[in-house]
Amino acid sequence: MKLSFTLNGTPFHVDADPGAPLVDVIRGLGLTGTKEACGVGVCGVCTVLVNDLPVSSCLLLAGCADGAEVRTVEGLAREDPDVVRAFTEQEGMQCGICTPGQVVAAAALAREHRGAAVTDEQLRAHQSGNLCRCTGYQTIAAAVRTYLASR
Amino acid sequence: MSRNDGWAKASGATRYVADVTLPGLLHVALVRSPLPHARILRIDTGQAAAAAGVAGVFTAGDVNPATYGRSVRDVPILARGVVRFAGERVAAVVAESRQAAEAAAMLVDADYGELPAVVSACEALAPDAPAVHDAPWEYPGAAVRPADGRNVQSRVSHGSLADVEEALRRSEHVVERVYTTRSGHQGYLEPQACIAAVPPGTAPGAAGDPIRVWATNKSPYRMRAQVAECLGLDPAAIEVQPIALGGDFGGKGSPMDVPLCVELSRLTGRPVKLVLRYDEELTATNPRHPARVRVRAGCDGDGRLTAMAVSALFDGGAYGGFKPAVTVNLHGVEACLAAYSVPAVAIESVVAYTNTVPRGHMRSPGAPQMAFAVESALDELAIAAALDPVQLRHRNLVRTGEPNSGGHVWVEARGTETLDAAVAAAENGLDTPDAPAAPPGWHQGTGVAVYAREAPGRWGTSVRLVPVAGGPAADGTGAGGTAASGRIRLELPMPETGTGSHTVARNRLAAELGIEPERIDVVQVSTGELPPDAGVGGSRVTLGLANTVTRAAQAWRERTGDDQIVEAGPPDQQAAPIVSYCAQAARVAVDPGTGQVKVLEIVSAVDVGEVVNPLAHQMQIDGGTVMGYGFACLEDLAEEDGQVRAASLGEFKIASMGDVPRLRTVLVRGGKGVTPAGVKPIGELANVPTAAAIANAVAAAVGCRIRDLPITAEKVFWSLHEPDSRPVAAERSEAR
Repeated sequence: MKLSFTLNGTPFHVDADPGAPLVDVIRGLGLTGTKEACGVGVCGVCTVLVNDLPVSSCLLLAGCADGAEVRTVEGLAREDPDVVRAFTEQEGMQCGICTPGQVVAAAALAREHRGAAVTDEQLRAHQSGNLCRCTGYQTIAAAVRTYLASR
Repeated sequence: MSRNDGWAKASGATRYVADVTLPGLLHVALVRSPLPHARILRIDTGQAAAAAGVAGVFTAGDVNPATYGRSVRDVPILARGVVRFAGERVAAVVAESRQAAEAAAMLVDADYGELPAVVSACEALAPDAPAVHDAPWEYPGAAVRPADGRNVQSRVSHGSLADVEEALRRSEHVVERVYTTRSGHQGYLEPQACIAAVPPGTAPGAAGDPIRVWATNKSPYRMRAQVAECLGLDPAAIEVQPIALGGDFGGKGSPMDVPLCVELSRLTGRPVKLVLRYDEELTATNPRHPARVRVRAGCDGDGRLTAMAVSALFDGGAYGGFKPAVTVNLHGVEACLAAYSVPAVAIESVVAYTNTVPRGHMRSPGAPQMAFAVESALDELAIAAALDPVQLRHRNLVRTGEPNSGGHVWVEARGTETLDAAVAAAENGLDTPDAPAAPPGWHQGTGVAVYAREAPGRWGTSVRLVPVAGGPAADGTGAGGTAASGRIRLELPMPETGTGSHTVARNRLAAELGIEPERIDVVQVSTGELPPDAGVGGSRVTLGLANTVTRAAQAWRERTGDDQIVEAGPPDQQAAPIVSYCAQAARVAVDPGTGQVKVLEIVSAVDVGEVVNPLAHQMQIDGGTVMGYGFACLEDLAEEDGQVRAASLGEFKIASMGDVPRLRTVLVRGGKGVTPAGVKPIGELANVPTAAAIANAVAAAVGCRIRDLPITAEKVFWSLHEPDSRPVAAERSEAR
């Protein structure tokens, strides 16, 4: 099937199996910043924005993204470098595999709250969909807080 | 001075094995055994081989019959005649795409003749148990002999049981308890992956281009040797490529699927790539050993330990080849009483073969299981002797100059200071406004546990400093000549697994040379570049890199020309015996109605020397503590009839941000670390005592002792409401 969607602001028309997970289509286009881990929508590693909402791209069928606006970590790094800067400054990472998903989730949180204050409890609940085995989460929470404060 | 890889990782630019692609790359999917123990009667690959996009379907007869392993070489590349665990590789499908390979793998039709299986370590040692391997002592590198009996991977013992028996007979108080822990996956979020590219037209090992390998492996030089040994190659014929790793925690030390992928590349004449699905990770890689640990401990009326006997039985799974020690055992066992001075000790550790997933290393292998048992037993002994558990530990922690229970005398022993720091911080934290409160009606309790870890005596690695056009002045001031624009390339033999080791090396070099860290480029080089290296593991990376970089910096300062390359290798001498301690105090709240446990706070006191990178150091403590919390309360790689049932991260639960209790750390500074950099190990410290601290806190809160991890609401509920298993709770209610 011919699939049309906007990826990081650029229109794409690609031949894709509509039943393939979106993560395969994105990575197949060479955007390997979006990683895959659990494959069942639990870990958040493959999080992308679809129409500004955070989505596990391992679960979303590519056909469902037809006509959608998709943003990956590569696009956010260009459009909204503050989020990448915050994770870099606070060292909100170790191995880095979950980091693109954490960054996208943080961007989604900021979009959802549009400048309104976010409590620590809200932050923790929101970011709980993105697992990290390395850090113990303290620096990730600090990075998200720093990013929200920068907006 | 933030991480050298921070921006690349946060912007998605860092490349991992799964992100690498090559011209002509083929993709691999595996067919795995559905049964824990069976004869392979027939494998029909015809339909799969004829499927669209399939380049080939291969079984044991197609690949090298040699076995591989990190020490004992008992792992077949593909199952040959018999499968020994559910999840074992039976056939490999190679195709133009991953989807085509996976679809064709479904078409491989295998018939099995089921054999009786042993699915637990206890069963495995029964005299009439089915044999997992007919003659395990015949494998190269085996640590057992026929006299060891059936289904034994290894058997290690220290001390004298007779001395312990004698001392226990004369002890005022004695406890004897059995503690059990479950399997758990290391939980790195980058699945194991491998790419192998055998140069076409050349037999492996022939002179010419090397076989290139990209793999999720933290010890490239060792892995190269293990693969070469299996396939009968010269190690130099394999070049392991530098690549970032998405976490390790001990699970990425083996060759895993590399020997298979090299064979598949040879057979197809094209490069091949295998990326495991996470269900394969959880069911068929090398998770943590489940343990059954029996502790007998005695003390006198003042709480001085008289004797301890610790006997551990580990489920090693179907193969021992994922453990690197020549004993094929777990070093955390031998060190389980290291923190204490005990007059009579006897330690025994048996690892059994079973028809379950092969077990490997996980962050301080063996130690979390042993510390849970020993540190829980010390609390039980304290209760029996009507002593405060902190006091009991105080009386027995080894002091500087004294030999510990293993006869080791350390440069310094700061166990009591570290324990005191944890206890004081836990008490002081109770009144702060942000102190987490227990829900109304829940009971609170605090528990402590201590872990001592010896620094590795040998920590050598090799680094190379390469000036990049117009490098800094030879005096290292950075002020001379064209130094302003100059850079140094710091070449390392080990991958960045995530800990920040490359940043540690960079910062240490910058500090030694007095230049900005930004002027140093840290580069992992391929195995063709530097002398053989042990890789990442054993809490030696910061020691190795910091110390080797320090010596390289000295050579750099002494070099005679600006364009000179300098190298530093391992030191000649073994390091002085250095130890570091972590003492943790956990505060929990328990709902007496439902048994639910909420861990409110974990305070970690850590005995440190010089800290090279404070934030990276802190993250080892935080990440370790959260892993310890998961081991204590969440993680159970549950099995049923030998098959891992928790086959997704929805069932094998690792802690999320919302699960994490409040964490506080006290660094007990001023310790004497390993010279010249003066550092103490940190990576495998804070995850070890956590489970016992939490179990001890639960016992303090509601009087029930959970001796089986993880500590779930169900276990606490039944322990509270089943009269036979609540002696302390019963005493309490009688007292009321």
